[in-house]
Amino acid sequence: MNPFLIVLIKTSVIYGGLIGAAALMTLAERKFSAWMQLRHGPNRVGPWGLLQPLADGIKFIFKEELCPDGANPWIFRLAPIMSAVPAMLTVAVIPFAGNVTLFGVDFGNLSITDLDIGVLFLVAIGGLSVYGVILGGWASNSKYSLLGGLRASAQMISYELSLILIILCVVAMTGSLDLRAITEAQNTGNPLSWNVFSQPLAFVIFVIATFAETNRHPFDFAECEPELVAGFHTEYSSMKFALFFLGEYCAMIVMACLTATLFLGGYSVPFWEDAPWFIQLGTFFAKAGFFAFLFIWVRWTLPRFRFDQLMHLGWKVFLPLALANLLVTGAVISLA
Amino acid sequence: MVIVKRKTLTLAERLYLPEILRGMSITFGKMFKPKITRQYPEEPLPTNEVTRGQPRLRALVDGNLACVSCGLCEAACPAYAITIDGQETDRFIEREPEKFEIDMLRCILCGFCEEACPKEAIYMSTELELAGFTRASFKYGIDKLKRSTEELAPRMEYIKRINQRW
Repeated sequence: MNPFLIVLIKTSVIYGGLIGAAALMTLAERKFSAWMQLRHGPNRVGPWGLLQPLADGIKFIFKEELCPDGANPWIFRLAPIMSAVPAMLTVAVIPFAGNVTLFGVDFGNLSITDLDIGVLFLVAIGGLSVYGVILGGWASNSKYSLLGGLRASAQMISYELSLILIILCVVAMTGSLDLRAITEAQNTGNPLSWNVFSQPLAFVIFVIATFAETNRHPFDFAECEPELVAGFHTEYSSMKFALFFLGEYCAMIVMACLTATLFLGGYSVPFWEDAPWFIQLGTFFAKAGFFAFLFIWVRWTLPRFRFDQLMHLGWKVFLPLALANLLVTGAVISLA
Repeated sequence: MVIVKRKTLTLAERLYLPEILRGMSITFGKMFKPKITRQYPEEPLPTNEVTRGQPRLRALVDGNLACVSCGLCEAACPAYAITIDGQETDRFIEREPEKFEIDMLRCILCGFCEEACPKEAIYMSTELELAGFTRASFKYGIDKLKRSTEELAPRMEYIKRINQRW
């Protein structure tokens, strides 16, 4: 088959899946939060409320769009796009499964592309989404939005540092920036070769840093509702508001996939080295799904931090720990 | 002066993570507990004879109203929700309402009409739901208010029991 067509099919399937997963995750967020508070959650639209994201989307599209007086209209409109697009782009390098053969057609490895610098691409593009938040906050001409945007950018930059240092530990162990190579290095059939067992401290720091990186509870200072109304998206309405959330949920899903890839061996099935692709895909979904659930689970368990505590944790605890972890990893690798 | 004693935290508490995991185990356990929300239209509110719902008129076994249009409920109504026009009748009770109208938007479900009635003709039912598209549709006439004696029997028994105390 035409290789261009194969890439087109893979891209549309993976992006469609990502948008669908993000929509489902908004539903899951509401469902799980309801269950944890002994409520039912949305259950009116479709069976078990499964069509609720669709109803929400239709509602968002038909809402009036507002642009506040004194706002910078072009940047105001650009910010939601700047927030959503980088979050969606990053899924391009996530390896979902090995070689896929469907209906006698060889589709190659199940990922949009296997970049040699996959990790670098992911971190660089993912880091761009902070622009959406701070531009949206600044262009709104509102003090709450501005403060929310400032906090979000400070937080994302400080946690990105330890996040990248932790990723470097994994990269140093594998010797490659390619996410598929990192997965394959862990795919030995023995779950003990997963990085979570050789880098337990790094795993814990990474998971906590992803929470801060995606602006999730207990670190959601960008939209700290008791203090800042709704933070950077206070002035946004209609589909522009929804785009911010789409970006946030896409970033969460990508981060869940990244955690599964870096530390839980991605699509590697325990005790079955060369499993067929659909089993690998199922395993990957189970691992990433657990981390996606963890985002929701933690949100409805923990209260919010204080901003100075967050900065303290980021700069005085995680950064030294991540540096020390990288140092020890490097020392062990060079001595072994 | 208030002296606040701060608890010195142990290492496990200062590490946060064990305590966070403890909290997360609690929320995870709660997910499988029975839900306390009532799914209202499917699960109606529980009612019994004590429930003071909307007032309804009692019909006798022959289908005629027990009301003699004496106007006591109309006078007792603090919200002026009741309007009665009486007329003569050949029946033994001699008078019956030509028009008996309760404005359900005015009614405050206080139950004074029920207390005032000397002929056991008006009772607070267990019906609680009230919805409509126009104001006029909330003016309930005899056709909407009439209920058989069996339907109102539990409330009648209850009122009799209460009145025996006095």
